[in-house]
Amino acid sequence: MRRDWEAFSFHLAIGVIAVLALILLVAPTAIVLIVSFTSGFSLRFPPPGYSLRWYVALWDAWQLHFAAMNSLKVAAWATFLSVVLGTLAGLGISRSSRLSAKLMDGLFMSPLILPALAFGLSSLMFFSALGLPVSPLTLIIGHTVVCVPYVVRNTVAALSQLDPTLLECSASLGAGKVYTFRRITLPLIRPGILAGGFIAFMSSFDNVPVSLFLRDAATDMLPIRMWQDLEGKLDVTIAALSGVLIVFTIALIMVMERFTGLSRRLA
Amino acid sequence: MAATAPTAYDVKLALPLGGFLAVFFLAPLAVLLVLSFQANPQGTAYGLNQYGQFLGDVFSLSVLGNTLLLGVKVTLLTLLLGYPVAYAYTRVGPRLKGLIILIVLLPLLTSVVVRTFAWIVILGRQGIVNNVLMSMGIISTPLRLIYTDLGLVVALAQVQMPLMVLPLITAIGRIDPNLSDASLSLGSGAWRTFVRVTLPLSLPGIIAGSMLTYAAAITAFITQSLVGGGQMLFMPMYIYQQASTLQNWPFAAAISIIFLVAVLAVVMVFNLLGRLSRGYASA
Amino acid sequence: MDLNRRSLLKTALTLGAMQAFPGLTYAQARPLVFATFTGSWEEAHKAVLVPAFRKMTDNANIVLDPMLSVDQIAKVKAAAANPPIDVMLHDPGPALVAIGDGLVEPYPVAKSAYYKDLISEAQVDTGPAPFFQVVGLTYNPETVKTPPTSWADLWKPEFKSRVGITNLNSTLGTGFLVEIARMHGGSEANVDPGFAALEKLKPNLAAVAANPGALASLFQQGQIDISPGNFNAIQILKAQGVPVEFVAPKEGAIAFKTTMHIVKNSPNQELAFKLIEAALSPEVQKKLMESPYLIVPTNAKVPMTGEIAKVLAKDTEELKKKFVFQDWKTINTQRSAWIERFNREIKL
Repeated sequence: MRRDWEAFSFHLAIGVIAVLALILLVAPTAIVLIVSFTSGFSLRFPPPGYSLRWYVALWDAWQLHFAAMNSLKVAAWATFLSVVLGTLAGLGISRSSRLSAKLMDGLFMSPLILPALAFGLSSLMFFSALGLPVSPLTLIIGHTVVCVPYVVRNTVAALSQLDPTLLECSASLGAGKVYTFRRITLPLIRPGILAGGFIAFMSSFDNVPVSLFLRDAATDMLPIRMWQDLEGKLDVTIAALSGVLIVFTIALIMVMERFTGLSRRLA
Repeated sequence: MAATAPTAYDVKLALPLGGFLAVFFLAPLAVLLVLSFQANPQGTAYGLNQYGQFLGDVFSLSVLGNTLLLGVKVTLLTLLLGYPVAYAYTRVGPRLKGLIILIVLLPLLTSVVVRTFAWIVILGRQGIVNNVLMSMGIISTPLRLIYTDLGLVVALAQVQMPLMVLPLITAIGRIDPNLSDASLSLGSGAWRTFVRVTLPLSLPGIIAGSMLTYAAAITAFITQSLVGGGQMLFMPMYIYQQASTLQNWPFAAAISIIFLVAVLAVVMVFNLLGRLSRGYASA
Repeated sequence: MDLNRRSLLKTALTLGAMQAFPGLTYAQARPLVFATFTGSWEEAHKAVLVPAFRKMTDNANIVLDPMLSVDQIAKVKAAAANPPIDVMLHDPGPALVAIGDGLVEPYPVAKSAYYKDLISEAQVDTGPAPFFQVVGLTYNPETVKTPPTSWADLWKPEFKSRVGITNLNSTLGTGFLVEIARMHGGSEANVDPGFAALEKLKPNLAAVAANPGALASLFQQGQIDISPGNFNAIQILKAQGVPVEFVAPKEGAIAFKTTMHIVKNSPNQELAFKLIEAALSPEVQKKLMESPYLIVPTNAKVPMTGEIAKVLAKDTEELKKKFVFQDWKTINTQRSAWIERFNREIKL
């Protein structure tokens, strides 16, 4: 009887908090989605009526399209570089107890810790001292610096939970290092890398402080453009754009889920 | 080389990233460091003046303290809310799993700027929280929630939740279910099993998640200033104020360095805990 | 084999990068970069100033890069040898900082066709002022039935928890502080009475925004009903149906000039000059004065008409008489101390 009650209370507590957390997670996104269908001219909540007008307006908002393309490209490149460099680095430092590995671990995490704004400003000074004007290239480099820690951290976390006996087994059965990596290690840590890469992509896509300093004037970035339009003009098109981004990303996750079983891998 | 276990990879694999960060992160950092030793904005003299100014000033120190404390609050709340989500995730069917992952990732999908507006809708004077509380008769006049510490902590916890939940899911998912089954069948209750088995075994995930959450929460300049408002001062805003509004770069550089060192210290503690917990988890 | 694969990968990457950013491969001449302000400013400049500039220069390339004054300075200062911006737009405070830091080129007054037509306040040889900005009281007419008439109205008990202000990072916040200091016997050199008044305003404060832009959402979501505000900034909100009105307080609304500067070491000096000339021209100034932009002109040959004449002033003479001009040189010397004090004292 007591054990039933224990199990019940435990699951109730877990369930209630989990549901509360999920509501908290959904609320802001839900509000943005609802407001994006407003028939009015302003971002009032609740909306006076509903329509698709702002999604239609979005169709012609070339400035937003342009900024979105730039942000996508930069995020794609930054993620690519982060995943390649970060996975290698994660492998290199994860099980090494050498001092150099520990030092590098510290180095790899520090871009997360230095306020991005200070990094952006000092990077600009650095590039300028080298005689390099700001360009998409400086922007990609800057984004990679602040995104790569996510990949490193997730790779290391995945590796640290890898059962060493598995690899030892493989080795003792005569498998080479590369073979073991490709057939055993990589499939097992791939979820971690994927998760890290996803976070890296999203944080690059949403980055403001680094872009503020390292982009050139012609490379309009979406979050900055959205910020300006929302604050300066309370532009409802921005809510519609968020709606599109949300739906688009959800679709992407679902496709990934269908073809790669993202959530099974994450577990 | 031959002596190393097959599970260890060559540290050299970390060199490309090490080189990349040395050039594009450490070098700018060095620029920052040099700047911080300028005694005045004109750079006519060098010294430790800026550091002295910060460390000798109670107000500046309180900004640093508040920022580090903000990170602790956000991390604790995120852990409290995120752990049950991750735990539930590992116990439900595949359909619900997909849904939970989707919901957990949602904050990453809404631009920080747009989210801020949503928080005004939720926490504002005529916002959802105040309306619900007033209609239930719990309060008679609207509470001031926006631009408060509480509002900011909740908003930051929401944003950083994925950083906590994803490592937790990985960690909890890796725990052999037989272990807790064994504990349960040996007569330990659900709570006891959770505290004695699941929680300790998921420590690596807790540490990894906490570290990411903590670092992200205290450096989240945009959310801090837009959801926190203009009278709450945290380190990133302090740095911005000094660098941009006042163009006092040496001081801004010095406080960036101090902030960096303070946070590195915190992270080193996390790392130490992480190493201990890893030993614990695999023992 | 391995080498082959690597070089193949390298080629693929290079091709990909070129595909993504054609700009990477050609060292192009940079278009003229004009750092304007965000929101209504960018709208106005895009719609009126840029076409006029293109016409004047036979379709020269121009990019608008809207950002705050202080960020413009930070960017130019960080890359002073090859600045990413050619023309800066500044409020008086930041303008003095930019000039003091040696970031601007003197305006070639002798070459200018319009400089001499500007009212005397706008004739600044470090960068002329094509526009004026006006700060007064903004309020929600749906909830504030009797329009406010004085800065002092903000302290009325009926506005308990209804007032919004910004911190001193902005010209708006700083100008407001100086004005209320004056009201209580202070001045640009002495804002102690202003801080004392802010202390008394605390019960009425519903929000201290981090920047003027944030005030707009606060109005819209009903968080605040009254605040010091910028005449131009609310026009765009009004057009969207946000209930907000502007009124010049009887003590006089705060007016300040907004100046345009050619950035030192800019590779586009000539085009930069032409852009500023276009901004000073009567044609552009007249169009910018009309709805929905309502920007106060500084060219004496442009008579004030419409909404501006109705709400603000009929001509520059009246403007100068009715409005308060603050001494930003004095303000700048102490601004950092004020910001620090605001940080410490104004906590809700």
